[in-house]
Amino acid sequence: MVTSLLSTDDLTQARALLEATGLQFETPYDDLVGIFEAGRLVAVGARQGRTLKMLAVAPSHQGGTLLDEVVTELVGRGYQEGVDSFFVFTSPALAPNFETLNFNLLAASGKTALLEYGDGLKRYLARFTRLIRPGNNGAIVANCNPFTLGHRYLVEKAAAAVDQLFLFVVREERSLFPFGARMRMVQDGTSDLANVTVVDTSWYAISSITFPTYFLKDGDPGGAIQMELDLMLFAQRIAPHFLVKTRFVGSEPLCGTTAAYNETMHRVLPPLGVDVREIERTNADQQPISASRVREMLLRGELEGIAELVPMSTLDFLLSSEGIKIWDKGGAR
Amino acid sequence: MKIVKKAQAGTMQSSDLMVFLEPAETLNVTIESTVLKQFGALIRAKVDEVLAKHGVDAGEVRITDRGALDYAIEARLETAIMRATEG
Repeated sequence: MVTSLLSTDDLTQARALLEATGLQFETPYDDLVGIFEAGRLVAVGARQGRTLKMLAVAPSHQGGTLLDEVVTELVGRGYQEGVDSFFVFTSPALAPNFETLNFNLLAASGKTALLEYGDGLKRYLARFTRLIRPGNNGAIVANCNPFTLGHRYLVEKAAAAVDQLFLFVVREERSLFPFGARMRMVQDGTSDLANVTVVDTSWYAISSITFPTYFLKDGDPGGAIQMELDLMLFAQRIAPHFLVKTRFVGSEPLCGTTAAYNETMHRVLPPLGVDVREIERTNADQQPISASRVREMLLRGELEGIAELVPMSTLDFLLSSEGIKIWDKGGAR
Repeated sequence: MKIVKKAQAGTMQSSDLMVFLEPAETLNVTIESTVLKQFGALIRAKVDEVLAKHGVDAGEVRITDRGALDYAIEARLETAIMRATEG
């Protein structure tokens, strides 16, 4: 029977089992379960948000149904808590074990494979099918936190070069501006461009699943592999659906993580049939326009200079009562 | 019966299936199965039969199957329906 692992002894056994199978005990997690046999832990698994991890079965007990039982419990409990899609990272050699449990392979790169339980990607893609027009289409993936004149410039350049431009706004809620607000700023700031279609990335591009370290600037060594997975998923599954032949990206002089992501893009995407066009950033006052610069100015209360960095539509939002609440946490204004 | 809340039944083990139900405006059934090519149509027919028997005409029905026999499909789906409709 699968039980929650809570006591100190449970955790000690879980750690030992994971280390014996070459994995690490990684906090944090939302749920940690295992199966005991005669007081000894023989299988373990954890869930953190949508990601299943620390899945291990004692060598003496492999080949049976223990993994199935652990994954069933994690998915069942997660579903009750409102999580409706689940992901797992594993080595490509172990991916078939998960495929027999109805996980679908999203992308595999070197030592890591990313699989999803259920058909979330298919349903995500189907949502946009009727918006896609045949042609030489392009894509931009951006967080737009908030939407600046830098984004606007990139979108204009890209839109002029393709038939239809898909602007993917990062769905993940890890930014100062919530997704709804970012989406609105982008829609208002691009509504005059007829061939631009604004969509969301769901969990399938630059999310805490595909690229968790994007949100922890200065990343970690694992970040490189995850960037590759994120980009392979884009090139192999997303771009073909949207008929995207070119991904546009702004040059990145400031943020190390984004610069490395751009570099990885040049290496990974073209062999998979997606061209990469890097567009030089626009400057204001001899400094590149970036969303982080706008956020810093907002937090310092330097409102005067912001008008030079963002379109009118974004400025209107930033100065609306809803916008002020987002960046002026102290309520000083 | 009307699906009023999320519910789940079944397991991921071989010869079993997982059923996920969610409220929705229309009826939308998706089936994934390791034997979809061979038995997809039969699974679908069984699912439709059980849904009709319980008068479920709206809801998001997601099924991931690992080669369950028809009585297992019926039992798991009925359990999920009971859980999704009870007050």
